[in-house]
Amino acid sequence: MREIKTLADLKKKQEEMRSRIKLRDNAENPESLVQVKVAMATCGIASGAKEVMEYFVDELDKRSIRAIVTQTGCMGYCYAEPTVEITLPGQDPIVFGYVTVKKAGDIIEHYIKEGELVDGIIPQNYNTIKS
Amino acid sequence: MAMHMMDVAQNSIRADAKNIYINFFEDCDNNILLFSVEDDGKGMSDEELSRLEDPFFTTRTTRKVGLGIPFLKMTCEQSGGSFTVKSEDGVGTTVEATFRTDNPDCLPVGDIAGYLTMLLVANPDIRIRFSYKINNEEFTLDNAELREQEIELQQPGMAGVIKAFIKDNLEELYSNRKVKSFLC
Repeated sequence: MREIKTLADLKKKQEEMRSRIKLRDNAENPESLVQVKVAMATCGIASGAKEVMEYFVDELDKRSIRAIVTQTGCMGYCYAEPTVEITLPGQDPIVFGYVTVKKAGDIIEHYIKEGELVDGIIPQNYNTIKS
Repeated sequence: MAMHMMDVAQNSIRADAKNIYINFFEDCDNNILLFSVEDDGKGMSDEELSRLEDPFFTTRTTRKVGLGIPFLKMTCEQSGGSFTVKSEDGVGTTVEATFRTDNPDCLPVGDIAGYLTMLLVANPDIRIRFSYKINNEEFTLDNAELREQEIELQQPGMAGVIKAFIKDNLEELYSNRKVKSFLC
């Protein structure tokens, strides 16, 4: 790829991206967004949460799934890091544990796209901490 | 090093900070790297501050340990550096760590571009200013400035672009290093 050095380069790149994406932007509706929260505290970082988060950002873009990917603090499941909380529109959040990049692929393919549950769900009996 | 950056920044986010300033300054002549994170979050009381370096102190209710800060303190002190935290209740917190870059125990810089990108993409509502300075050369990235230029980080496909932008600039900056250090 050509080097991107200045803000002007960045802007040009954005225009390119925008024209490519316009076609699929029509069905936009804020409530229909999938929310992905990746736990990013010491425990998550040490277990590779960044790679998982990068994967989610890239992969959801690639598959044209409109989603908000954010980071959150530790959810208290340090033993199961990296953990990811996914909220499908109109549903309760579900926390997945031991999310490697491969597992993240499964989650996108089966849970986010089809709504089928996949392995590794952590039963929830807490209220999400506001990070 | 990049992991510590993310960790400390996450603390700031949790303290409801609206502005976060992340600074790296490499002083090649004296073999020192100064790393600091400054925020305007809710700060800490003296009591919390005094217990901050205790690994068994945390404000969380979900678990009993808080290792982020003790961990950073350990890594910078094992390289012969020092560690300080200044904080005022309701005003904000500044975390400062110095590393000796001529010490083999100094951490490698790591994937700064990747972590910074994630930090920017995931937190559109927080102003983040990042600066990496080597001697007199500096690279800064301010998401308030990006917004002025109407560059939207949340737009699909932009994460890769912004990462490449940071990476290219940092690589150019790293070429200014005069002496070999254990950072890379």
